[in-house]
Amino acid sequence: MQDIYILGIESSCDETSCSIVKNGTTEIATSTATQIAIHENFGGVVPEIASREHVKNITLVIEDCLKKADMDIKDITAIAVTYGPGLIGSLLVGLEAAKTLSYIYNKPLIPVHHIAGHIYANSLVEELKFPLIALVVSGGHTDLIKMTDHFSFEKLGGTLDDAIGECYDKVARVIGLPYPGGPKLDELSKQGNPTYKLPIPLNDDSYNFSFSGLKSAVINLNHNEEQKGKTINKADLAASFQTVAVKSLVSKTKKALLDNNINNLIVAGGVAANSILREALSNMCKENNIHLSIPPMCFCTDNAAMIAAAGFYAYKLGRKADYYLNSQSTTPLQ
Amino acid sequence: MKTLYIDTSSDYLYSGIVIDDILVSEIKNKYEKDLSKEALPKIIELFEQAKITPKELDKIIVVNGPGSFTGIRIGITIAKTIAWALNIDITPISGLTAMAISSSTSTYKMPLIDARRGYVYGAIYDKDNNAILKDTHIELKILLEKAKARDIKAITNNNLTINLEIEKYDPDILKIVKYFETSKGINPHLVNPIYLKKTEAEEKAGL
Repeated sequence: MQDIYILGIESSCDETSCSIVKNGTTEIATSTATQIAIHENFGGVVPEIASREHVKNITLVIEDCLKKADMDIKDITAIAVTYGPGLIGSLLVGLEAAKTLSYIYNKPLIPVHHIAGHIYANSLVEELKFPLIALVVSGGHTDLIKMTDHFSFEKLGGTLDDAIGECYDKVARVIGLPYPGGPKLDELSKQGNPTYKLPIPLNDDSYNFSFSGLKSAVINLNHNEEQKGKTINKADLAASFQTVAVKSLVSKTKKALLDNNINNLIVAGGVAANSILREALSNMCKENNIHLSIPPMCFCTDNAAMIAAAGFYAYKLGRKADYYLNSQSTTPLQ
Repeated sequence: MKTLYIDTSSDYLYSGIVIDDILVSEIKNKYEKDLSKEALPKIIELFEQAKITPKELDKIIVVNGPGSFTGIRIGITIAKTIAWALNIDITPISGLTAMAISSSTSTYKMPLIDARRGYVYGAIYDKDNNAILKDTHIELKILLEKAKARDIKAITNNNLTINLEIEKYDPDILKIVKYFETSKGINPHLVNPIYLKKTEAEEKAGL
């Protein structure tokens, strides 16, 4: 079989990324311009600033990626691009570049849903085994998805309000940790104990999640302790929050696996980098004899390698877009 | 000499291909929300009508602002990607200059783009298109004060209430391309929008 090289482009939030992946499984090269340092000044991603940075970086990351891969774009089989969901102004920079490359070099254009990308980050580690449950945890998503084959997505449940990553960042801000707070909160929690009592969110029979109540509980707890003149133990509060948040994620994931009699779990999205979540999922899977796949940290956060990996399977299924492809800020997983 | 011109700094796509002093294809269409969807397919049609492939291009002229932030990024990203792929330079130009060049009035010229809340992007040029007041983001009434006592025409596509003779902007793509015929282009990586305005977040943060 002739090798298939997909060039992927991702610009849905604050990373401008280009990657080349061989046969959907092997990362050849990735170049990513990250904007974390810029957005730190504002305590979160500012969409207009993100878009401005993308347009500065887009051709640079494409060139850098090809250089790293020591490849000519003529050797690329097809161009894959994130068309949504994400920040609309950010998305369209990557989209216009991908469309233009596809036209100039006469290569097929493959539209990739950002969450499909996160899921397919796992295929850069090992081939996906079906049926599987995918737990998608990021700043914008908290979803449980059942897959019986490539690109066959059935959403079992998701968050009813805040995404888990959003909740982590907000709680981190309450505790006084600088943006992006999620990873810092994870670190801090290891120095504390879960001494504060917090409610387990949406502890019911559904596959859904809810994190806004938990977020409010942390804010109230912090406020009440201040009122009483007590100093909050930040590490303990971080540990208490992590304990219930992770418990909620793990119990619903376990339920989805057991109810559907599925023994493959993959985890995707930025929050998959969380050490406590990784440990808890790993223990749950061992106890229930479930095969667990979590991508390494570098493929958990936004990157174009995952888009190129997903692009390979989409290409095999004949999924192509024409030059009228548009970016979508919200769009169902497909 | 084969030149591609792209201006997406408003709701309009103004684009054309000039081959040896002849405008062989052009488009002037309003797209509003669909610009990101329509821009590239319409530019591809221009190549088809001109019966050339992008690889034959010698030069790209792109409007790098001011105007709609999102709009400018669409045109610049397309221009940068084509130019990078073909290893040719880009001549980035001001949309306000393009407006002045297109007008053949013998008076002073004041191109205006509505920037909302009483502000405009504007400039003042003389009849030979020399900038008297460079491109700026300014309160309309202050700009009008600066224009006072000159024989001057406003050029705009927006509905601005001003006490001046207004010429509707209709780009003369051939004239614009010819005006920049000898200008030296720059490396596509270095071509970026000129917004003339910081983001609200930067203004609030005092950055």
